[in-house]
Amino acid sequence: MLFGRTKKNPIKMPDKQVREWRYAVCGYCSTGCSIEVGLDAGGRAVASRGVADADVNRGKLCLKGIFEHELFDSAGRGTRPLVRDHFRDQWRATDWDSALDRLHDGIRRVQERHGRDSFAVISTGQMLTEEFYTLGKLTRGLIGTNNYDGNTTLCMASAVSGYKRSFGSDGPPGCYEDFEHTDCLIAWGSNLPEQHPIIYWRLKEAQEKRGFPLIVVDPRVTMLAQNANIHLPIRPGTDVALMNALMHVIFSEGLQDDRYIEANTNGIEALRAEVEKWDPVTASRVCGIDEDSIRVVARTFARAPAAMQIWTMGINQSTHGSDGVVGINNLALITGNIGKPGGTSLSITGQCNAMGTREWSSCSGLPNYRYLEIPEHREEVARFWNIDPEFLPRQRGMFQTDIYQAMEAGQIKGLWLIATNPMSSLPNTARIRRAMEQLEFCCVQDCYVDSESNQYAHLYLPAGTWAEKDGVMTNTERRINRVRPIVDPPGEARPDLWIFNRVAERFNRDGKVKFPERAADIFLEMGELSRGRLADISGMDHELIEQNRGIQWPYTAEQRERGEEPPRGGKRLYTEDGSFRYPDGRARLIPLPFVDNNEQPDRDYPFWLNTGRLIEHWHGRTKTGKIGNNNKFSPIPFIEINPDAAAGLGIRRGDYVRLVSRRGDAIAMAQPTQRVPPNMVFLPFHFHDCANRLTLGLLDPHSRQPAYKQSAVRIERIEDQVHAARLSKEMRKF
Amino acid sequence: MFQRREYEPEYALLNDSGSKPVNRYGKPIDTVPPGDPLREQPFVINGEELPQQNPNRYKQHGFHFTADNCIACHACEAACSEKNDLPPHLAFRSVGFVEGGSYPDYRRINISMACNHCDDPVCLRGCPTRAYTKFAEYGAVLQDPDICFGCGYCTWVCPYNAPQLDPVKGQVSKCNMCVDRLEVGLKPACVAACLGKALDFGVIENLPEGRIQAEPAIPGFPRTDITHPNIRFQQMKSIQREMVRVDGTALKYHRTGDREGYRPELDPKKGFRRQWNLGRLLGSHENAHIVFTLGVQAAMGAFLLLVLGGWFGLPAVTALRNSPAWLPSLGLMVLVTAFGLFRLNMHLGKPHRFYRGFYNLRLSPVSREIAGVSAFFAGLLGFTLFNLFDGEWARPLQFLFALLGLLGMGFGGYYMYRLYRIPARPFWDHWHTGASFAGTGLALGSLLLALVALPFGELTRELGQLLATVAGSGLALEGLGLLAHGLAMRTADSEGAASWYEQLTTHGHAYWLRNLLLAGSLLLAGWLAVHGGGPWLFALLAVMALVSAIIGRALFYVLVIPTTMPGAFFWRNRAFVEHARDTGLAEMEPLGVVYERHHRFDLKALLRTIREHSPRQMWEQVREIVLAGPRP
Repeated sequence: MLFGRTKKNPIKMPDKQVREWRYAVCGYCSTGCSIEVGLDAGGRAVASRGVADADVNRGKLCLKGIFEHELFDSAGRGTRPLVRDHFRDQWRATDWDSALDRLHDGIRRVQERHGRDSFAVISTGQMLTEEFYTLGKLTRGLIGTNNYDGNTTLCMASAVSGYKRSFGSDGPPGCYEDFEHTDCLIAWGSNLPEQHPIIYWRLKEAQEKRGFPLIVVDPRVTMLAQNANIHLPIRPGTDVALMNALMHVIFSEGLQDDRYIEANTNGIEALRAEVEKWDPVTASRVCGIDEDSIRVVARTFARAPAAMQIWTMGINQSTHGSDGVVGINNLALITGNIGKPGGTSLSITGQCNAMGTREWSSCSGLPNYRYLEIPEHREEVARFWNIDPEFLPRQRGMFQTDIYQAMEAGQIKGLWLIATNPMSSLPNTARIRRAMEQLEFCCVQDCYVDSESNQYAHLYLPAGTWAEKDGVMTNTERRINRVRPIVDPPGEARPDLWIFNRVAERFNRDGKVKFPERAADIFLEMGELSRGRLADISGMDHELIEQNRGIQWPYTAEQRERGEEPPRGGKRLYTEDGSFRYPDGRARLIPLPFVDNNEQPDRDYPFWLNTGRLIEHWHGRTKTGKIGNNNKFSPIPFIEINPDAAAGLGIRRGDYVRLVSRRGDAIAMAQPTQRVPPNMVFLPFHFHDCANRLTLGLLDPHSRQPAYKQSAVRIERIEDQVHAARLSKEMRKF
Repeated sequence: MFQRREYEPEYALLNDSGSKPVNRYGKPIDTVPPGDPLREQPFVINGEELPQQNPNRYKQHGFHFTADNCIACHACEAACSEKNDLPPHLAFRSVGFVEGGSYPDYRRINISMACNHCDDPVCLRGCPTRAYTKFAEYGAVLQDPDICFGCGYCTWVCPYNAPQLDPVKGQVSKCNMCVDRLEVGLKPACVAACLGKALDFGVIENLPEGRIQAEPAIPGFPRTDITHPNIRFQQMKSIQREMVRVDGTALKYHRTGDREGYRPELDPKKGFRRQWNLGRLLGSHENAHIVFTLGVQAAMGAFLLLVLGGWFGLPAVTALRNSPAWLPSLGLMVLVTAFGLFRLNMHLGKPHRFYRGFYNLRLSPVSREIAGVSAFFAGLLGFTLFNLFDGEWARPLQFLFALLGLLGMGFGGYYMYRLYRIPARPFWDHWHTGASFAGTGLALGSLLLALVALPFGELTRELGQLLATVAGSGLALEGLGLLAHGLAMRTADSEGAASWYEQLTTHGHAYWLRNLLLAGSLLLAGWLAVHGGGPWLFALLAVMALVSAIIGRALFYVLVIPTTMPGAFFWRNRAFVEHARDTGLAEMEPLGVVYERHHRFDLKALLRTIREHSPRQMWEQVREIVLAGPRP
């Protein structure tokens, strides 16, 4: 050993002088990690750490969570309400009262001129559940437009739709604890290490202990695919063919669970008849997976005492998204893998509170998985809210994607856009731009004033973000967890709940409908409305939730009265025979005929365009693009392109390339890698004015979710690299 | 003290129950034997003295990395940056990767690395200011930014890119092993944050739970023989014969038959197109080194010629000495040396801390170089001063200062060369560096004298032939060195091959221009040595040799590629950093790339230091430098 000096230096280490740690569940993805934010003596948020005794993350955080405290001070936050007459005019600052009056008048004017449903409200998966519930009450009960949806249509609609079709209700039946019990895991189009790193860690912990086979279905060699026992590099958009073939093998080899099918399902004959057509040879020609691998995977899955499937956008964002989910459910049902430890079909959700909006926002129906289509549900909710049941529409209105098409066609004239940024997130940006340009009145409510959709707004309302607000969120495993207001919103920005309540006052002059001011009280009101429903939360309140670091629903008032503690984790749905949500308690086995309607690579556009997520970024990058310690890992858009394909086009590592589709073009930097096949490029979707200038986004017939991951492009080498660099830079505002 | 929570998860707790007696290199794992006085010294963090709680405090600790498991989630890097409050452009820990195979038979290996707290920390040896300490506690190698003067030499010698030179603050900082967490029984923040079950930590050579390998290296990891790093690896899954780097460095790793595993090899990523890139070549932060080395070497060469020529009574030199060109020659030598020293000092992150350059005379070639060059400069100044006088009394003083100058030149010149013989920088680690330095000294030194003699009409045929002969030998020496260097780099299985490639492509035109100029000036010098020639030919030779030297030295600095771990596609990719600076992307704050910048000489800070320290303390400091250095 060699020592630097005989007299030691005093050691100085950075110390952020944290005086107090405050609790919140993370505001990024749907994993639902418990975070503590450290405040210094001046009350500034200076540190974040994982909560060690929270069951979900057990002290861990991903890189986004680790720097989440930097969100509060990030650039581009809105601090004052802004107003203008035309979107080409300059913004003028205004006060809240005038701004809110303007929103009220704008909505009513459009409705009077063009009809009730000509005004659309589009929200998000980012707000707190109490806010969703309040917005739902306001929109359904007072504003009265049926064109009310959330951006969850872009991420979870297929899962919702598939669950509803199979089980009679939305609601993921499994939980993270299932990893610790499973004997086989199939991941369909899910790249946990990048998208849900903490869930991946739970999986990895379990796998190191028990070593179950991991099967990954993904056209790209992701880190999860690379670490899988079996990787099935499937042809994009053909999952349903593979599912049918797996079921074909299971049935033909008698590996199905007849008792479970008998006791729990309807429709087995029709299913058998359809999958009969999908022998592995036929399927292999469609999905590109060889027949032997199909058989091996079918046997491995069906013979496992407990087998689970997870999926994310690889399934959801496809023209067969809803069918894909039903296919996964079919596989689970015929092998008896629902509601038992280690046996489940678990949709790994996208946004932090996508589940909260599914449960409580009334976007697709009425609170707590009630349907507009069912008269009793309308009656019940109208009575509870003290409104006229006839005021509620008899069937749900348009999805977000359809709303935009209607906007383009001039049927929707007004829009209230809340915490979402379609200019970046919807497919085919050119059409979205055209749709937004035509609006007579557009209000954007967002925590960032530089959200690109604000370009087309006439009114901007500055909102609080994440832990500037008070409420709860629900995660992938149906765990409701608490967000506490850790700091105040900047300037005059206000929590979304405050804004909704002020707007409600303007539509509710006679005070007929009650809008509690405090989130804790709203939660109790929701608890009342949840009694006896699938998502029964009547046993919970804010305090109990925080104490338990989140509680999985259902947890009922009866359980609480009995003195039954909420379980730490491991709560499942449909654990008993005949407990599905169709009236007869049985799940449906639904046959899935498959027609490939995707845009296919051809001579003019020879590459598949596959889009997806990077770990360091969150959705439209409005948040993570401003946090240097996240953004630096991929500050500009890039494509993964096969080195052989790149060589053929004369493209070198680090060159800017032009991607051209039938919709438009985009510039990205080329990263040659054998991760992708020679006829595919992978392009992260996070960047504004990039991936979605290219995507087609055909809609799923059931969920209306766009197929972001199956488009065709051609790649062009750019001669003038200096000019390309300038263009690329100009498109990155932050 | 680090605040330990009431409940800390199992994975975050240090759990070494014992240790091996010695590590694989034969060093005891006990950093100091029981009873050693170092064990009795207080361990003070942020002014707080900590009682020993950790029973393994005096054992060498290190990281264990399971490469099979790393998913490049960046949680380790983020946790580190969060704890150490680092701006985006700095990181003590980074994840890079290499990949191989063909779709879908493809594998990527991610490598997360910070400081390896080496057995033989070359950073500590190299640092001229003694900012580094290897502590007996945990064997941690810690660096004190408050001592550092921002020369960046530690970042040159470290094979792992562990010390981070911050261009904004102008100082180095690095991984501190989270010794505050270790003190309370917790693993470092990066380890506690790991989401792939890849990164672990403990007493070195101990296997973490569930691990069976503790190999010293994996593909992409730099040589371990330079420093004996305290990191161990597990990598069990089969990987391809060739693993390529995804950053811009033109290297891949090729499997060898032996236990060595993988060796670096050229991967010509951008083809073989020859380019100019003059802006990048001449606009770099290393310009100060170009000015310093060329200036000082020229002055040294001229000094050597004048002094030795005088001592040996060479008629041409004696004639010069008695001419009006004599004092201007000396004056110009003083000027170029002074300017070189000034530029060198002003390129430091903290120029006002210049005096700290001498602190590590016992170990650092940089300190010795600075000391030697200072002695040379003092000798040159004295020599020049006493040449202003004619009296007999001045002669012995001239002699004494000449002697001092020569000694300083020998010592400083040697260490000026030695300090570039860095194993982690193969492009420099070759005798051509010495040949180039000496050759430059002879060539530019003689031409400096010729240029001064010219306007005075004192460039006699005799002097001209002498100077042309010396310049020619210098140029020949440099040329020979370059030939040997080229041959060695072309076939090197090291980062040297990538440097060679960049020399032929990115800076290909400049490289060939230099070669042409060098060959041309060598021929011209030979002609002048034999036949003599008029002033214009000498002027031409001087210009050609100077331009060749400037381009050559610029290439020397810009081409070096350290043996660091591979980067990612954006982060830790030198090619992207250069691109971001060239295109202005770096202006965006959250990009993680900043521009190089100059730092002002903070006179107030210097005066404050002088005021706050008594002469006695200063004397103590000098004593300490000379007598009480680091110990084995």
